[in-house]
Amino acid sequence: MSLANRMALASPLISSVTIEAEEFPELSRAFGVQGVPRTVVNRRGAFVGALPEAQFVGAVLQLAGAASEPPQGGSGASG
Amino acid sequence: MSILTDRLREQLKERFAERLRGPVQLTLFTRPGSGRLILPSGLGCPTCEDAKRMAEDLAAAAPERVQLQVVDVSGGGGEVTEVPTLTVGVPGERSRIRWQGLPAGFEFATVVDAIERVSTGAHELSPDSLQRLAAVRDPVEIMVFATPG
Repeated sequence: MSLANRMALASPLISSVTIEAEEFPELSRAFGVQGVPRTVVNRRGAFVGALPEAQFVGAVLQLAGAASEPPQGGSGASG
Repeated sequence: MSILTDRLREQLKERFAERLRGPVQLTLFTRPGSGRLILPSGLGCPTCEDAKRMAEDLAAAAPERVQLQVVDVSGGGGEVTEVPTLTVGVPGERSRIRWQGLPAGFEFATVVDAIERVSTGAHELSPDSLQRLAAVRDPVEIMVFATPG
């Protein structure tokens, strides 16, 4: 199970949607998907690649404005 | 008609019998009848039929634990407009875990895992991660773009 899903299971404030990028090309273009997995948080910030749990949680919460640690490899959602 | 092989369906039955504890609600949002027609974006749904067969196979693997609801979005006005969309959650609660598009390949394994984790509540995040999540005060939406792999 992806870390995003596990975070959604653990917190009632978090939701996770896994999008099949090739099936939704317009949505993928809108969020600047050039490589996968690309994780987009609150439709703003994003990062590419699979991260270990601590880094993934930190990156997501940082992009959501709910943590102090900087995301690794982060960028704008359309970036 | 099943989309999974006989062997895989049997493995799923054994796995769910061993691992599932509480009830799980699967909800599949689909647009019936659009089949494999190539229609303008937003109208057709070439993977809806496969997604329905997959969801039916998952529910049939543990009918005493896994409920499946299929929702036709053709009429519009609902919360979900993109199809197929599959949600996994606890019955009676708003699901926070979903897949948009056919969850094939590696993503199918993540659906199976999600069903098991929702059934048991076993997110298995570290204490440090849980401490960080406890600081969340506003809704956070995580979108993960993936390919079947």
